Amino acid sequence: MSSILLISGGPSPTARTGVVVSHVDGLLREAGYGVRTLHVRQLPTLPLLTEDLRDPEIGDAVAAVLRADGIVVASPVYRAAYSGLVKALLDMLPKKALRGRVILPLATGGSQGFLVAMDYALNPLLAGKGADSVLRGEFVLDSDIDGGTIAPKAAEAIRGAVDRFTPAVEEARFRRERTRLRPAG
Amino acid sequence: MTAGPMAAGPITTLAVVHAGLGSPSSTQLLATRLAEATQNEVARRQAPDLEVRSVHLRDVARDIADNLVTGFPSARLREVVESVTGADAVIAVTPTFNASYSGLFKSFVDVLEPGSLAGKPVLIGATGGTERHSLVLDHALRPLFAYLRTIVVPTGVYAASSDWGAEGLPGRIDRAAGELADLLVGRAAPTPTPASASIEDFVPFDQLLAGR
Repeated sequence: MSSILLISGGPSPTARTGVVVSHVDGLLREAGYGVRTLHVRQLPTLPLLTEDLRDPEIGDAVAAVLRADGIVVASPVYRAAYSGLVKALLDMLPKKALRGRVILPLATGGSQGFLVAMDYALNPLLAGKGADSVLRGEFVLDSDIDGGTIAPKAAEAIRGAVDRFTPAVEEARFRRERTRLRPAG
Repeated sequence: MTAGPMAAGPITTLAVVHAGLGSPSSTQLLATRLAEATQNEVARRQAPDLEVRSVHLRDVARDIADNLVTGFPSARLREVVESVTGADAVIAVTPTFNASYSGLFKSFVDVLEPGSLAGKPVLIGATGGTERHSLVLDHALRPLFAYLRTIVVPTGVYAASSDWGAEGLPGRIDRAAGELADLLVGRAAPTPTPASASIEDFVPFDQLLAGR
């Protein structure tokens, strides 16, 4: 089975981005996937913000990215860009770490005007780490998230994104396995 | 707090914020050079001395991360934030990671109140290993500071490893510092002269077209 990693760049699991991530987590588990969620804020702060790769928890987070066939990158939109926490985690990945992995970007923000933050800020960042398979993501309005629940229309859009994501992840895993199994020479 | 450049009376303050990680740090070095150059340019304009306040974000990294969760700053971070939002101008320098500002730099901006830097003159700078990422200034930092409604001076300074000790960097530092000084002393920028191609280099059109 493919391995999927959810990266949450929100300030806490109960904040809006965290709510979206746990919703996606539920959908993927329902579909039978093994999922791990990485709340960036729960990594040790100082090693995270100062790029200290010797820290075991940081090393474990980076290894989780390098094992994943598919990665959901969820970030709140702060100051019309991705959050500093998401940036800090992606910065620690080795060069081209995202190559061959399917990426689903998700963002939450206060206004539709921030929709372009995904195209102008998040996507170049993913491309910089070698991502060659970034799917069309979803942007969820803050006002569509009330406490722990997501408005039906937004939830439907998220389900659509997950339905685009899972077949692409299967295909990516198949391609990788095939490369590995192909006889040398 | 101050209403704008020179409104605070005789003391004009300049906050120098940098997100360098190493020690020694080229990011810190660039921040220092920019601050010194700005002090010189302000002095050249016969304006009162600048009071420079340096902020090393690495020292408050934990406070910044805690602020993201709790929603309010520690006493130490509040002091740092106030020294930046209360300054008459800001110099902001970040290392370049993945062709953008660092996570620490962005996290600091994330904890600033939106609007708290509005109208403030800002000089942006970045350091990096190679010159390939010099567009970090115009693709990442400038939009960020535009969102914060600051007045970013036209010249940003990017320093790659190979720029140190090489020709070009001191000139860019002085030009950027001069632009910031003009905003600080409330003077219009001088009429620009073309960066290259002086009048002696002028080639008449008939000569340019002769080979066609």
